[in-house]
Formats: sequence, structure tokens, C-alpha cells
Amino acid sequence: MYFVELAVKGLVYGCMYAMMAVGLALVYGLLRILHIAHAGVFALGAFMAVVVANATGSLALGFALAMVVSAIAGVAIYRFAYQPLLGHAAFVPMIVSIGIFIVMQEGFRMLFGAYGIAFDHNPYYTATVDLAGIRLNDVEIAMVVAATVLLVGFGLFASLTRAGIGWRATVSDPQMATSFGVDPVRVRYLNFIFGSGLAGIAGALVGLLNNYVEPTMGGLVSYKALAIIVLGGLGSVRGTLIASLTLGVVESYGTIYLADIFDRDAIGFLFLIVVLMVRPQGLLGRG
Amino acid sequence: MTALLRIDDLHKSFGGVAAANGASFAVDAGEFLALIGPNGAGKTTALRLMAGLLQPDSGRIFFDDRDVTSLPTHARVRLGLGFTHQIVRPFYSFSTIENVMIAAGHRQTESPWRALTARSRQAARERAAAILARIGLAGQADQSPRALPLGQRKRLEVARAIALDPRLLLLDEPLAGLSSAEAATMADLIRALPQSGITVVLVEHNLGEVLRVADRIVVLDGGGVLADGVPAEVMARAEVRQAYTGTS
Amino acid sequence: MSGYVASLLSVIGINMILALSLNIITGFCGQVSLGHAAFYGIGAYTAAYLSKLGVPLLLTLPAATAMAGLIGAVVGLTSLRVRHDFLAVTTMGIGFVFLGFVRKQKWLGAELGISGIPASGLDPLAYALLIAVAAAAVIAFSLWIKQSWMGFTFDAVADDEDAALTVGVNVPAYKLTAFGIGTALAGLAGGLYVYFARIILPDTFDFVQSIAILTMVVIGGTGSVWGVVASTVALTLLPEASRAASDYRLLIFGTMLILVMRFSPGGLAGMARSFLGSYRARRRAAP
Repeated sequence: MYFVELAVKGLVYGCMYAMMAVGLALVYGLLRILHIAHAGVFALGAFMAVVVANATGSLALGFALAMVVSAIAGVAIYRFAYQPLLGHAAFVPMIVSIGIFIVMQEGFRMLFGAYGIAFDHNPYYTATVDLAGIRLNDVEIAMVVAATVLLVGFGLFASLTRAGIGWRATVSDPQMATSFGVDPVRVRYLNFIFGSGLAGIAGALVGLLNNYVEPTMGGLVSYKALAIIVLGGLGSVRGTLIASLTLGVVESYGTIYLADIFDRDAIGFLFLIVVLMVRPQGLLGRG
Repeated sequence: MTALLRIDDLHKSFGGVAAANGASFAVDAGEFLALIGPNGAGKTTALRLMAGLLQPDSGRIFFDDRDVTSLPTHARVRLGLGFTHQIVRPFYSFSTIENVMIAAGHRQTESPWRALTARSRQAARERAAAILARIGLAGQADQSPRALPLGQRKRLEVARAIALDPRLLLLDEPLAGLSSAEAATMADLIRALPQSGITVVLVEHNLGEVLRVADRIVVLDGGGVLADGVPAEVMARAEVRQAYTGTS
Repeated sequence: MSGYVASLLSVIGINMILALSLNIITGFCGQVSLGHAAFYGIGAYTAAYLSKLGVPLLLTLPAATAMAGLIGAVVGLTSLRVRHDFLAVTTMGIGFVFLGFVRKQKWLGAELGISGIPASGLDPLAYALLIAVAAAAVIAFSLWIKQSWMGFTFDAVADDEDAALTVGVNVPAYKLTAFGIGTALAGLAGGLYVYFARIILPDTFDFVQSIAILTMVVIGGTGSVWGVVASTVALTLLPEASRAASDYRLLIFGTMLILVMRFSPGGLAGMARSFLGSYRARRRAAP
């Protein structure tokens, strides 16, 4: 039973990673940029949720604003930082992305203090549900539900609607898509709106899960999300999803069995390095 | 006479499509061989296999009687097997002469240690200047390759390959995209290569120029060798004409 | 006062060695590394551990250099296996694996690091001068590489690896050499740091440190020895200039990264070149 519980907890984390990593994979797939500032967007979502929820008493409003503001921030990062640098070597926008991340993190520290904020009213992270002997709290369940609903919704959008098909076409062959009348700039905006909104929700949920939001919370999650998109073969959404869940489970077991040698945060990267040594193209990437 | 380059029963497929399907032929020292064939015949694949840019699924490649099948590209270049790309790849951060110098200094760049202990670039510069003069790019020596028109960039690619002192040069469509005047200049340049001791394997679409310069022609079709012989005789064969008219 | 000067000189010297060592990997050879602080840490931990066993400085410094270089060359092996974009994430991962490992090792002091490191046997100013001499040697070595055929070949590898293979360059060997030299010198900086600080903590070698080193290189101008030297001095002195500059050090770093990449990707060296160019042009134009 314990073995199963570890797997389930790992999958919960995997869902959270997936919500972060899909945005990164989309940005990489479209623009070949390692979007490190995604970490700042994630923390922004968390701060929006906690600040609005505490001020208004409405968690729903907090989550809605977290999504909207994160999406706007993502679009702003694209428009003002990445778009002017698209012709440069990949190194240049990556460094800019690191700069934006640092500035956002320090900005949060100045605005909200280094010690973070807790939710005034958060019964969810202590309320547990018993699922066939495995105890999960409400937020963990919400994480799985949110990830499933949003990602399945995205999958349907991408395969059923005109805009979604244009998007996929642009990712696989921008020139071809343009010649078929898809507006690549619109696709990029859509990309940042969706990816960043998802990261904002993930941030808000993680804040709720820890009942605590602090400036540096985006860092580790997004570094791991970077590892995940590499594992998933960079730019592949399907690979990213599988890699997210795999990493969640690997970490979950690793924390138990490797606890004396490595801390939790190192396990993901250790896994990444081992996988890359064996399969340089990632778990699912083609050579 | 032993062959300088020999490929033996090469197979390579991409996603189930065979781009090399039992191709075998040999190139003798001092020869000018043209590799031709209709689109999709496997010419570029054969060339990339010879250059070590692709690994064959099966089959062997011998250079100077040495099995080079598993050698990486740079090691083959060091043995004297030079090549040019169909789409030119100059170092854009270098000037034109520096592009040739890095090749002319191949003794200095042989190992990191040699490179660290070698400082003077004078000899390489002189050698590069001489090659540029021979190839008609002396006036462009200090320009960026970005500033060169395609015809000159293609000549720069050949200059860089010559500077490596190759015994055999694989040329991938050096005439593609050139105007007829540029193509004629390039063809003359290439035709003169065997006189300086360089054996040439030319992959080319421009049949007129091929017939003008080649000693021998190998026709590929469907990843295998369809015909092999002197130009006039090969071009007269029915199966070659059929492959080219697209009824194969 | 002389204590303050000695400590400032020591910090500048150590930072300079760090920045120049990353400059060999990223600036000369074009291989982005986001985990350079790990090698700084490997050198520091090696020297600290050995010094506690009573090994003298004359042996601990070479050991720190060799250990970091050895592990660096192994990490360099991954750079041969993975695609360009993977490398940034992989090296970032090395940083986290190093920290995650060190934090769990009781024999390395775990979270508390190593303290009570024996004195170098030199007075602070003499030790600062030793560091300065080492930094000067690294500057000279960097200039030597740049002017030798190795620098020329690194330029070719950084520009286009496939084209470098075409001209017979053993690209893997050169990349490994860059990683080996760069990480060994970072190890030397770590060894020097040990006798200066007399205590080391895992967090000194974290991702933020890696980014700080990268910032010095990028702002100086990747690949430019004098540009990196100048930016190291400026960025090290900056927090000393005022309390505010010290509090907002990261914010200033982040902003500079964005602005420099956006407006002068060549960094200080690029600015100096274009300024000199226009100055000369104006001199020529003047009667």
C-alpha cells in the first residue's frame, strides 16, 4: 500500500510539473527559447492568488486573477523581451530570460517581503479525503483535476478548432503554416496566454498546498520543468506530459530510497543526466 | 591499380525508405568521377555516407585501403578525404581569408595541445592568400562571407576544402544555384583540381557541365548503381535515359 | 583599513578567476554553462576537506584544481552527447546535483558546510596578493589561448560545429579541453576561497552564484578577456559602493542582463569596440 501511495503522491507532483512544463515546451517548440522567466510567472500567479484572496475573502476571484495576470505577464515578456531578439543566437534571449526572472523575483521580495505570505483562510490543505486507503488533501485533488481538465481542454482545442490546428501547424512548420494563412504572431500570443495562464494556476495551487507563498518559490519548480522538457525531447507536448508524471514518481521513490545521498531537488536532475547519457535525444525524442 | 576510395554494398534507409540500397563503386587515384542520378536517387546520401556525416545501416567504406566506416568526419578529413556542402557553411564570424586559414592550419589544429602551443598564423595566412588568389577571391580576403554573393561563397567553400590538402574531394552540387557564367567559372576551377593531385567525386545536377568535366560517370537510381562507365557510353544506355525521363 | 583592502582584493581576484574560467567555456568555445558554481564548490570542498586533514596549501590548491577539472571533463562528456539547447539545462542540473549531494553528506558537514579551516600561513594582505598573482596568471593564460591556434579553433567550434568538423577539427576533443580547463580554473578559485573565508557553506555554490558568474561574463562581453576583467571589477565593487547597491545587487544584475543583451549583446567589450570605431571614424573625418 505504501508503495502505491508513493506512486500516487508522485503523480500529484507530476500534474503540477506538467502544468508548468507544458508552457515551457510550447515556448521552446515555437521560438527555441529556454523560457526561464516562466518561474517568475508561476510565482506571480501565486502572489496574485494569495493577495486577492486575503483582501477580498474570495479564493475563486484570487484564482481567476492569478490566471489572467499571469497570462498578461507572459504576453508582455514575449512582446517586450523576446520578440525584438528573435533573430539573435539562442543564448541571447535565454540570458534575457534569466534577467527577467531575477528582476521578477527581486520585485516580489521588495513588494511582499522576503518571508512570504500565508492564506488567511485555507481549510483545504488540511482537509483530507480517503481514497481506498490513500489520503490526499483537497488541494492535491484539485491539482490533479485542474491539470487534467486544462490539459485535456488544450488537447481538444489543439485538435478540434481551427485556431488550434493552425497552432500545431505553426509549431511543426512555421513557413508552411504561414503559407496556409495562419498568422504566426497570433499563434505566439496564444501560446504565451495559455502557457502562462497555466503556470499562474499552478503557482496558485502550490501556494495553497503549502499555505505559503514566497518570492523564490518559482525557482526550483521551473528548473525542474526545464529538466522535464529536455527529458520529453524539447518541444513535444506529449513527451513533456509523460516526462512530468515520470519525474514526479521517480522523485517520490527517490526521496525515500536515496534520502541519505541526495536531496529531493537533486534527484530530478540526476534522473535527467542519467537519461541523457543513455538517450541523448530525451525519453521520447527521436534521434 | 588500387582504388583510393571504395564503397562496398552500402545500405541506409530513413523511416523505411532506402536512400542507399547496395551501392558499390570505387574511385581511382587521379580520377574525376561524377555521381549523377534523378532526384531521390541517393546521391547526397551516398556522399554524406562517404563524408561520415551519416552512418550506414550496413556496408563498408574504404579510403586508401583503410576501413573508415566508423571514423568520424574530422578523422576522415585528416586522412585526406575533404568535402564541400551543397548549402555553403562558411564560418560567418570569420573573414573570408580566416575561413581558409583555419583549414590551411590543419597541422596546428590537429590536437588541442598542438593548437595551444602554436601561435604564428603567418604561414597559414600566406597559404590562404595564395589559394584565394588562385580561386579568384583575393580581393574579398578581408570581407565577411555574408557580404559575398552565392557564387563567391561557393568558391570559398572549395578554397577551404583545398586548403586541407585533400587527396580526394567530394563536391556536393557546387554548381547549384549559380548563374551560367558563374557555373562555367566554377566548372573550370573544379576541372583543374586533378592536375594538383586531387581526385574528385562530383555530385551534380547540371548534366552539361558533368559531361564536360568528368572522366567517368556513376549513375545512381533507387539507392543503387544503375550504370558505371565513360560519360558518352553511359549516357547512351537505355536504362539511364529511362531513369532520367522518369518512367522507371 | 588594510584588512578591508585585502579582503576586497581577494574577492575581486577570486571572482575574476571564476569569470575568466567560465569565459573559456562559454566565451571562447561557445558552450553555455549554467552550473559553473558547482566546480567552484568542488574545488572549495576538496581544498577544505584536505586542509582539515593537515594537507598544506601548496598541495590543496593543485588538488582542488585537478578534482574540479577531472569532474568537469566528465561533465564535458555530456556536452558531446546532447544537443546544444540541452546543454544549458544539463549544466544547470549538474549544479543542483552537486548541491543536493553535498547537503546530504555528513562527512562534508551537510547543511552546515565545513568550518574551522586552518589558516593559510600568510597574513591577509600577502594572501590577497597571492590571489592577485593567480588572477593575473589566469588573465595571461586566457590571452595566450585567445591568440594561439587553440583560440582560433575554439572560435570555429563556437561559430559552427559542423563546419568545424569539415575542416578536420576534432570538435569533441576541443570541447572537452575547454570544459577541462575552465572547470579546473574554477576549482582553483574554490581552493583560494577556502583559505580566504575559512568557512564554506553549500549555498555559496548555488544557482544564484552560477548566474552571478555568468552575469560577469555576459556584461563584460562573452569571449573578451579584458571586457570580463573590467566587468568583474565593476560588479564586485558595486555592492561596496553603497548600502542600497548591496541590498539590490541581484535586481541590478538582472536589469543589467536584460539591458545589455537587448542593446549591446557584445557587452562592455562590444560597446568599447563600437565607441572606438566611431571615435576613429570621427578623427579620420576631422580635417
